[in-house]
Amino acid sequence: MAPFLVLFVVAFLLPIVYAVGQSFTRVQRSGLFGEAGTTSGFGGLANYRQALEGTAFVESVGRVLLFGVVQVTVMIVLATVLALLLESASAKWPGAFRTIYFLPYGIPGVVATILWSFLYVPGLSPVVDVAGAVGLDVDFLGPSTVLWSIANIVTWAYAGYNMLIIVAQLKSIPGELYEAARVDGAGPMRIAWSLQLPLIRPALLLAIVFSIIGTLQLFAEPQVLQSVSTAITNEYTPNLAAYNSAFNNNDYGVAAAQSVLIALAAFVLSGLFLALTARKDRS
Amino acid sequence: MTSISRRSLLRGGALGAAGLAGLAGCGTVGTAPAATGTIPPKAAGEVVRLEYWAWLKDLQQVCDIWNAQRPDIQVEAVWIPGGNDGGYQKLFAAIAAGSGPDLAQVEMRNVPSFLLQSGLVDVSRYGFGEVSDSYDRALVEQVTFLDSAWAVPQDSGPMATFYRPDLLEEVGAGPPSTWAEWLETARAVHEADPNRWLESFAVGDTSVFLAFAAQAGAVWFTPEDDRWLVRMTDDATTAVARHFDTAISEGVVNTALAPYSPGWFAAVGDGRIAALTSGSWGDALLQGATGASGLWRVAPMPVWSDIPGSFGSSYLGGSTAALMAGSEHPHEALEFATWMTTSREGIDAMIQYSGIGWSPATDYIGSAREEGSEFFGGQAYGAEVFAPAAQEQNLEWTWPPVAQQVMDGLGDRFLGVLSGTTTMVDAVAAMEREVVEIFREKGLSAEVAS
Repeated sequence: MAPFLVLFVVAFLLPIVYAVGQSFTRVQRSGLFGEAGTTSGFGGLANYRQALEGTAFVESVGRVLLFGVVQVTVMIVLATVLALLLESASAKWPGAFRTIYFLPYGIPGVVATILWSFLYVPGLSPVVDVAGAVGLDVDFLGPSTVLWSIANIVTWAYAGYNMLIIVAQLKSIPGELYEAARVDGAGPMRIAWSLQLPLIRPALLLAIVFSIIGTLQLFAEPQVLQSVSTAITNEYTPNLAAYNSAFNNNDYGVAAAQSVLIALAAFVLSGLFLALTARKDRS
Repeated sequence: MTSISRRSLLRGGALGAAGLAGLAGCGTVGTAPAATGTIPPKAAGEVVRLEYWAWLKDLQQVCDIWNAQRPDIQVEAVWIPGGNDGGYQKLFAAIAAGSGPDLAQVEMRNVPSFLLQSGLVDVSRYGFGEVSDSYDRALVEQVTFLDSAWAVPQDSGPMATFYRPDLLEEVGAGPPSTWAEWLETARAVHEADPNRWLESFAVGDTSVFLAFAAQAGAVWFTPEDDRWLVRMTDDATTAVARHFDTAISEGVVNTALAPYSPGWFAAVGDGRIAALTSGSWGDALLQGATGASGLWRVAPMPVWSDIPGSFGSSYLGGSTAALMAGSEHPHEALEFATWMTTSREGIDAMIQYSGIGWSPATDYIGSAREEGSEFFGGQAYGAEVFAPAAQEQNLEWTWPPVAQQVMDGLGDRFLGVLSGTTTMVDAVAAMEREVVEIFREKGLSAEVAS
């Protein structure tokens, strides 16, 4: 146990404790630049208050919640449909297609965003050019659209990954169940609805919880797109806001408070979701 | 109280800092106090290697000229992303870790925020005072805090007006010499052709508004004793804000095309923009517009003739070569920085390879800038317009340690001017109250000046 405990404490517990400690630390400076003494001490909830009073941070939380409700739903539905199609008896070359759908997950988020930005930026993008040629004025990077441009990238990258989780669960369904269903006269749709969907429920829950957590941690995509879109502020997502506090404003206490709040939100949301689905199970 | 001058109080603060330095060594990252005392120069015959982190292009070419002459002080240029695009984050992380380069490029307005993190070396201790007369005075003032200089001015951006004489002549005007005349010309240009504007004014980029306010004589931030006085609603600032409120509400400035954006360049190429009031470095950028060669000229920027105590020009942008607190060779780093920014050889190389802004040296603008340029119809505008502009500056303007947050916050509020939910006058007043809070969140004391 000892080696495990050491690693657990050093690599897991200590950073969390340190971050929580930082989130309660305030810096007090004397003089114009702290040249006459700088002290850091317990600041109570001041950092949390500052984080929550900043409208930008609260707005960023609302933004990712909206993003999550739409994007996670679309992605999970897409992943489920792809998995069911690939596991259906009539699927051709399922192995090849599985690999192809999964491939985007192997591309780092930053690279994926750069690739997509070539399709978003006016003047570079053939999509914008073609739309302009037929009289459509599309703007993928405007204040009302850029969130969904990010959603598109995330869906492209993770739909295949979630599909694979679901496929793994589908493969564990024993063949007898399919046979029994067919003997009972169930068609492919009926099998999908009454047999496969209930049985892949654990995988779906897992994929959804992972996606909720991933949504709250949205960072690389907006960070990269920031260089081509003025609609993305420094506090566009909660993680960007924490990054901005730490490395643009050098306010490590507030950054720690924001990080703790993000972690708490992920914890609460995932817990809520699991509790909701568990209650439904019982009823 | 009245018998104690501000300077002696500041000096007292600096001495106190030396005494307290040893006490506050630990704690939150980035709060270690500045090192005191001096590091002695290198021994004769010793070879030192310096690193200079900057986003200037081809800076190594400039360093190589120095390296060839000084085998004992070898400088390596390391490229970092420009300022807030990632360079500062790298530098702040290095400061927090107690490592980092000997020299770093820091914008003039960010020097105080590096000071707040105790990231800079007091260059006065290493003899900057002996060469400070070689620099434009306003620049030395901007890097001087607590009676010491904290960075070596590297380039600046004295402002002037680039304009199209042909387009202005169509409405019988010349380059406006006052801002009142500027407004009349803007009206005339836009009235004669609704698709043409005298200028673009980007509300989101508040550095331009700050520069105009400083020209009008505003001093938003004043260190007094050990606190900051904030004064953003003075007559000068309010007059400037009202001026642009008028221009925006009448629609006679273009607010959609930010200067130097792709759309703006297209408009310049089409002759839809007749002038640009900007920093001296705008000349190189303007030449990126197609079909504009030979058509542009440069004139002094308009002045606030009805505001007493206003100035002929202002600074837009500008950067320094700052000695970082972790440097083991501050003597040698300062020697190199001084050569780079004041010697004829250094200035010419910085212009040729790195395309720096206006040279901070008082008596040499760079050989390339003494001649006329074809793009500007042969006008020798460097000596004619920008050299005098560099001397007509607001010497009192002081950047605060929270400049970036002030500018970002003001920029967010200014966006409301375009949607008609606020005015620039109201936005500045609202920001003034918020700024005090921003100072306090940094653990500093500040209040609105009465």
